[in-house]
Amino acid sequence: MKKRLSLMLVTLMAFGSILAACGGDESAAPADTNTPTETSTDNTATPDESTAEEPDATEEPAAESDSAIGLTEAEDMSLNPAAATARTDSAIIGLVAPQGVFNPMFYQTTYDAYVNNLIFPSLLKIKGDGTYENDLAESIDISDDNKTYTFKIRDDANYTDGTPVTAGDYLFAMKVYMDASYDGQSDPLSWNVVGAQDYHDGKAKDISGIKVVDDKTVEVTVSDYDAMTQVNLGGVAPLSEAYYGKSYKQGDVSSIKELNNKPMGAGPYKLTKYTAGQEVDFEANENYYDGAPKIPKLIYKVTTDTTNMAMLQSGETDLDNVTVNEDNVEELKSMGFLDVDVLKNNGYGYVAMNNNNPLFTDPKVRQALTYGLNRAEVVEAAYGPYAEVINIPQSDVSWAYTAENINTYDYDPEKAKQLLDEAGWVEGSDGIREKDGKKFEVNFSATADNPVIDALIPIMTENYEQLGIKLVVETLDFNAIMEKKDKGDYDMFFAAWGLTPDPDSTVYVTDGAQNNSGYSNKEVDELYKQGKKELDLEKRKAIYAEIYQKINADAPEILMYQRTNMNAINGRLDGWDVTPYKEFPYSLHQVEISQ
Amino acid sequence: MSQYIIRRLLQMIPTLIGISIIVFAISQMVPGDYITATQNPNMTAERAEQLRSLYGLDKPPVQQYFIWAKNMLVGNLGDSFQHKMPVTEVINTYVWNSFIIAFVTLILSWTIAALVGVFSAQFQYSFFDKVVTLLVFLLMSLPSFFIGLLAIKYFALDMKLFPTAGMTTAGLNASGFDYIKDVAKHMILPVAVMTTLQIGGLTRYFRTGMLEVIRQDYIRTARAKGLKERTVIFKHAFRNALLPAITLLGFELPGLFGGAMILERVFAWPGIGQIYLASLNLRDYPLMLGFTMFLAVLTLLGNLISDILYGVADPRIRLK
Repeated sequence: MKKRLSLMLVTLMAFGSILAACGGDESAAPADTNTPTETSTDNTATPDESTAEEPDATEEPAAESDSAIGLTEAEDMSLNPAAATARTDSAIIGLVAPQGVFNPMFYQTTYDAYVNNLIFPSLLKIKGDGTYENDLAESIDISDDNKTYTFKIRDDANYTDGTPVTAGDYLFAMKVYMDASYDGQSDPLSWNVVGAQDYHDGKAKDISGIKVVDDKTVEVTVSDYDAMTQVNLGGVAPLSEAYYGKSYKQGDVSSIKELNNKPMGAGPYKLTKYTAGQEVDFEANENYYDGAPKIPKLIYKVTTDTTNMAMLQSGETDLDNVTVNEDNVEELKSMGFLDVDVLKNNGYGYVAMNNNNPLFTDPKVRQALTYGLNRAEVVEAAYGPYAEVINIPQSDVSWAYTAENINTYDYDPEKAKQLLDEAGWVEGSDGIREKDGKKFEVNFSATADNPVIDALIPIMTENYEQLGIKLVVETLDFNAIMEKKDKGDYDMFFAAWGLTPDPDSTVYVTDGAQNNSGYSNKEVDELYKQGKKELDLEKRKAIYAEIYQKINADAPEILMYQRTNMNAINGRLDGWDVTPYKEFPYSLHQVEISQ
Repeated sequence: MSQYIIRRLLQMIPTLIGISIIVFAISQMVPGDYITATQNPNMTAERAEQLRSLYGLDKPPVQQYFIWAKNMLVGNLGDSFQHKMPVTEVINTYVWNSFIIAFVTLILSWTIAALVGVFSAQFQYSFFDKVVTLLVFLLMSLPSFFIGLLAIKYFALDMKLFPTAGMTTAGLNASGFDYIKDVAKHMILPVAVMTTLQIGGLTRYFRTGMLEVIRQDYIRTARAKGLKERTVIFKHAFRNALLPAITLLGFELPGLFGGAMILERVFAWPGIGQIYLASLNLRDYPLMLGFTMFLAVLTLLGNLISDILYGVADPRIRLK
């Protein structure tokens, strides 16, 4: 009896823990702690950012929505706690725990990427506006057919062990990327490097498309190019073959992964100590090719969303990313010694509609559902002044953004009703619209404990009831919703996308890997293809503007908002150059201590 | 006795197999996998397929189970998807941080609860007993994150008595005794909060156990002999009152290593609880299954230990 009981207890426990995970908040799923991004050059925003928030919605909308976003400087540096001012030769950055994958090829979370950014420079680095400039590369020559890229590595670039960064190290990094056992997040075979597939399959010992011309020059040939080719190839960080390649054999990258917690690169800082779950210590690389960093010692200290404000307040950290809401902003500003920088998030929230579902096949219906939802009210309720309603799926700080010929779908129930009538959905005897004997009943799959959903559902239910549409809400785990999405077995759900600096995407491409709504428009497909192939930025701008206008007219999903992130920085640190694309680690080598 | 232990250990084998099947089956039924859960906006369909085959997620579930079970037999729990290192290494990195606070909490809460329980039993229905009962229920009903945050606010921020969070002072690089002192300072708040929360239930156990024993004939006999009340309580009654608690002690074993998910987050304590939670949420199966099995083994062992201890402590019970 007792034995049976113990078995039951253990299994119940196991059950409990797993069920807790799927019944729990979706926030969990792609939670703030774990947001993988692509290569270090695309510092993609957190996927599904809607989930990282605290579930406390803000009460009172502030006066102007624009004034809430931007930098508020510290007012009174005399309030700075002694704990902070005592650190004259070091700065402490608070962040969510990295996982110790300190290799730009293998990292899985943004926080590991923050570490990698300091240690492993790539040939290219991101600029504040989301475009790229040379970093380790001194020059990049592109052949006339856009298929051969010659990278010249800076002469003064050395690893922290004193050895020079060479073209061979670039080739070595590429070999690791193309290796069959490479299990990082990047998709290196999609870069179309000549010979990469053969290397991957073990048919060749070398990558035929990569030629080491001399110690500092490497030539890469691709079989097909697009706008991302230069960024993909330039985003590779050379790995010291002498350090990482000692026991590497084609087909097994495990020896490289074993060095994940002992990284060695050519960046502005070198890692001196890593204590899992606690801190990462860095020391300035005096020989950094872009000039020795001004802060000799840097510490990444692990904080959580419950401790980050307290630690800023006590002076234990100098910078942290804090959830944006009015209470938090108020409190941080009132401390007086913090610069509070509210930045647009690279991402957007949307309500997906199943475009293959007979309910939503007609664009008029989708437009009506957009007109008929008071989006401004929802966004205000969820984020106060710290998010804005959007009408195209692009960040307004991106070069690809356009506001021209974009319908803003301001809340207009009359217009919505009219569109529904035109689409053939007429009100039945019970006030619910019908067409061909079918009632307009929408099944909304919602996740629990999400501030946007909490704000959205009551407003949506009421708004759509006015239109004669019945909304039925079911609460599900986020992964369960994603599974329903994959099967195409859903009506509506809410989710959010992260945006890469480049506007190329598969979200609105017919059968694209990220196409959640089943939207399909041949013109849009064609334009996305053109946009990807075009290398001229001005021409690309025009193409993407056209894409967004078409998507805006088709309303494949109800676009909701672009929210914000917030960096709170102790005023004693100066010299930042942080934008939504260029995150704080890229500034650390130039930041200095002024107090 | 040793025969008994061997038999019990052998019985654990089918139990563990049963658990592993159930746990694995549940993990398979839960929607999503690591690749969908990470929600990478750049993930192409081809890359997702490559990753699934690298991780072995494309094989049929039964085959996956046997691969996993076979590796487990040779002590290989696989590599964590998120941490890109062996699961055993991940567990080893974080579990001891959880263990030290859980262990100190265990000692403190049992000592305090035993004393308080004994006194409130001895003076049943007295003013002291009533106050203790009230306090105990009050503490039991408080949510841990709430008193955790409150403690940070008052003791760390306002009174500046303790560090706000974390396990060590950033950049201190202390070693030896200084390191122990630093960790101890950081431990005080989380341990205090965890102890407060655990004392509640335990006190009730000890009080009930004591009340039962105090009414026994031999206690009356002891008192009638003219023994001092102290001797009666602590020598004769207390030891017997501890017996039911021994069973409880065995169940504490998995708790020592299981981590405290909520409080670790509140205090930014680098424990295994948060790591486990993240592995569940991100569908990092090797870590999630590996750690669940680890806890299952500990639970079974804890069970066995409490049975053995019971036999040792209580001569009326014979283990066969």
